[in-house]
Parts: sequence; C-alpha cells; structure tokens
Amino acid sequence: MIDPSSGPFIFDTSAEGWLARNASKEVVRWLYAYLGLHEISISAVTVTERIRGYSLLWRRSAPETRPRIEAARVAYLSQLGNVLPVDTAVAVVAGEIMALLPEAPTPPRRSHRLAESRQERLARWRFDGVIAATALVAGIPLVHNNASDFEAIRSAIELSPERFPGLCPLELIRCSLLA
Amino acid sequence: MPRKQAVLKRRTTLTLPADSLLQAERIARSRQVNLSTVISEVMAAGLRLESARQRRDRILDGYRKAFTGFSADELAILDGVILEPVRAGRR
Repeated sequence: MIDPSSGPFIFDTSAEGWLARNASKEVVRWLYAYLGLHEISISAVTVTERIRGYSLLWRRSAPETRPRIEAARVAYLSQLGNVLPVDTAVAVVAGEIMALLPEAPTPPRRSHRLAESRQERLARWRFDGVIAATALVAGIPLVHNNASDFEAIRSAIELSPERFPGLCPLELIRCSLLA
Repeated sequence: MPRKQAVLKRRTTLTLPADSLLQAERIARSRQVNLSTVISEVMAAGLRLESARQRRDRILDGYRKAFTGFSADELAILDGVILEPVRAGRR
C-alpha cells in the first residue's frame, strides 16, 4: 500500500478513471484519505482525453441518451482538482520523449468487435508522453494504469539523462498498488 | 511589518456538553488563555474538518456521476482509448 501522505501524485488518464470507478473498500478508503490531504492532480492532457471521450460518445449516441452523457461530462468537470498545464518546460520535455520513443511499445487495443486504429494508438502514446513530461517537470510521482507505456518512457529517460538536465528520474506508481 | 487583521467577533450563548466544557476550561487554564480562545480554536478546527469532508464527498460524488452507466468499451473511450467497429477484412 502507498501511504496517501507520501503524495501528492499526478494521476494519468486511465489511473484517474480506475480510481474514480473502483468500488473496492480498500481503494475507496485510500482515496478518501488521499483527498483529506491532497487534491487530485492531473495533466491538462487528461482533461483533453476525457472531454474528447465524452464528446465522441455524445456524437455517437441516440438523442435520448445525450443528456445523460452531458450530465456525466459536467459532473467530471465540476470536481476537477489541480490541473497541471502544458507549459514551455512540459512541451520541451514531451518533445524529447516523443523523439526518443517515436513508436508506441505495444500494439493498438482490441476488444470483442472494436479496435483502436494505428493513428489513435499513436495519439494516445503521445498523450502519455506529455503526461510523463508533466510529472517529470513537476517532480511528482506519476500514478498510472499502463505499465508498458510508462515503464518504456522511464527507461528511455534513464538511458538519455543528458536530454533531461536537472530533472529527477520519472517516479512511477501502479494504481493497483495504491491500496 | 504587516498588521494582523482584526477578526470580527460576536457574543452568543451556547449550551455545551459539560465534560467537553470542563476539558476546554482545563486547556484554557494550562495555556493561560481565556475559554473563548480555546472554543474558537476548536470550532475553527472542526469547521476545517467539515469543509474537507464536504470537499471529499463532492469529489467522490462527482466521480460517481461522471463514470456511472457506461459500458466497458465506453469507459475505455472516456480513458482516451478510442475504439471503432472492426470492418470486415481489416485487422
């Protein structure tokens, strides 16, 4: 278990979703303790990914379903905590990460009858790079739910420290280890 | 040196549990402050806790509303994994 007082942490998009949706007593208790000490910090890119998701679902849905999706979107936006911006420093570090790792380390996702396009996979990979850069610049551990992507980024940064002067190593925490 | 801003105060009458009041009086005596100071500090701490609790509840309620009622594929889309129907002959 990760002590909530050892925060604050930045949560990647998937980790924030995992935390928000997890109904296990231990995870809810952990989140409750964490919120007593810190705000939930996320990258502005997470807001982009999330709002894009709501918007896509809204566009794909039947008119009678749209108010429910809109209400969910408003609920998400109304509880936002600390949103870290993509400023010059984050943009520079993200550019370095993207140049080091132009390709995603894992293939596009698939489910039963649905699949992620290569283009979408690349976009998600680049968003992950910006989120990792945000955590690096802030010097805050990154809680993630996507070990293959973020471990690849951490390894690449460790192999090219000269491209990330003055920055501490990327500290990663798997969300499943929180509680 | 910046001057400390005066806090607006109001006189009121409260009915408090006798044992809590006794404890507060003991604290006031040991710190050589008046009872009002101790009660004010305790009240401020309690209000901070209450405000933190309300903030936590609001966030948790917001999360619940933001992610309830979606299928697994829809939740993947909300997490930034944009899935499209697979067309025949395409992998």
